[in-house]
Amino acid sequence: MKESALKNAEAAVQKAAAALQKTAAALQETATDLLAQKAVDLVIGYGRSSGGDVVPLFVGRVEEAQALEWNQHCTYNLVRYLTDPEVIGSFGSNRGAKKIKSGAGMEEATAKGAGKAEAVAGKVAVVVKGCDLKSLMVLQSENQLRRERLTVIGLPCPGVTDEAGRVLAKCESCPPEVYNPRKELCDLIIGEPVQRPAGEPLSNPDNQDSTYRDVERIDALNPAERRELWDNYFARCLRCYACRNVCPLCYCKECVFDQHDPRWVSPAAAVASNRSFHLIRAYHLAGRCVDCGECERACPVGIPLRRINRKAAKVVEESFHFRAGLDPEAKSPLVVFANEDPEEFIE
Amino acid sequence: MKKLKIVGFLCNWCSYAGADLAGVSRMQYPEEIRIIRVPCSGRINPLLVLKCFQEGADGVLVAGCHPGDCHYQEGNLYARRRMLILRSLLAYFGIDERRFHMSWVSASEGKKWADTVHSLVKDVRAAEAEAKAGVPVW
Repeated sequence: MKESALKNAEAAVQKAAAALQKTAAALQETATDLLAQKAVDLVIGYGRSSGGDVVPLFVGRVEEAQALEWNQHCTYNLVRYLTDPEVIGSFGSNRGAKKIKSGAGMEEATAKGAGKAEAVAGKVAVVVKGCDLKSLMVLQSENQLRRERLTVIGLPCPGVTDEAGRVLAKCESCPPEVYNPRKELCDLIIGEPVQRPAGEPLSNPDNQDSTYRDVERIDALNPAERRELWDNYFARCLRCYACRNVCPLCYCKECVFDQHDPRWVSPAAAVASNRSFHLIRAYHLAGRCVDCGECERACPVGIPLRRINRKAAKVVEESFHFRAGLDPEAKSPLVVFANEDPEEFIE
Repeated sequence: MKKLKIVGFLCNWCSYAGADLAGVSRMQYPEEIRIIRVPCSGRINPLLVLKCFQEGADGVLVAGCHPGDCHYQEGNLYARRRMLILRSLLAYFGIDERRFHMSWVSASEGKKWADTVHSLVKDVRAAEAEAKAGVPVW
């Protein structure tokens, strides 16, 4: 009995891998066509580093399109690069900046020095999973993209895994309308819609009967316990800003944490200033964060950053009935108000 | 008893005038609040509140016009959303919620201003009493 279940699971994994391979081939073909017809100047997708890891890949020439990959290790949110002046050049609102050399993986590109290559003429195709697409929607709603210059290639996603091969927690709670990117929001969809078996038990208890179970568990603690819990995490924070730098929605030209006058938050990696840093980061993402989980993945000291951002998302959802990333026309809940907004906390 | 340091951000048009009325009416209220006048409660950046806590405040109050009375029509309604999120994040990180108050005080509510400060000071004292020894406010 057990053995046959195991065999079934193995067969399912193999089948999924074959489907991904097929999608990857179709993606390479599409990228080749787009570049050959000069419909785009750059395709941002996934490739392999010299070490064999899946990394972001920037394809500017037809012959490089064969290096594009699509598999279960494609965790990165490539939407991040759409507002990055070093990568995108004249695309988006960052006119005049330089792009990196096409065809290079990110690490080689930075090693060789970004900015030497010619500027991108402006048309970019980007490969997105459904969850990444949500962050693109937020950028679009905030007027950070020139959508007409962008070709969005959506890939139905069976869920991505971490380095140890476990499916990420965020994928386990991912609904069908997200893991199969919505047609009307993409220019192209490559690959068949993914079917995930209904009622499949989720291995992560955080997601089992409530979307915000992880947050609720912390809410249930008393203030002193919450303080201790978070202070222990904040004591580890190195203030490396990886969480900020990897975030697709952190596009401010001058970040408040880099300002010297006034210096709102001390750059010292101490518990008190780290608490301020994480609170303000969460606040800036309230009503915007789409829970792509890149911050938590990038954190070198394992702070559960999603649990912070999801608290803000939960409050926004309960108080203002808003979820980020679903509608490119939606306004962020903090730039609008309603007369009937809750005010029980106000005397 | 420890002397508290509490910062109050008061909007120029309603709450500051309300506090002024409390003063000229000779109403008594704790002197542990330091008032900072701002153009509108919609001007309060959450960073201002955090800065107060970082610099050693025991409590912070944000006061503005009642909904519908804002001099700028809607500044206080933006503030209401902002402070709701700020307050829940403070609580989430284990900062006692009673240290952060928001209140609507109009220019004619001198009495309400005095009551607000009384209840704020009472709440902050209660938070202080329950705080673990050696754990700073921020």
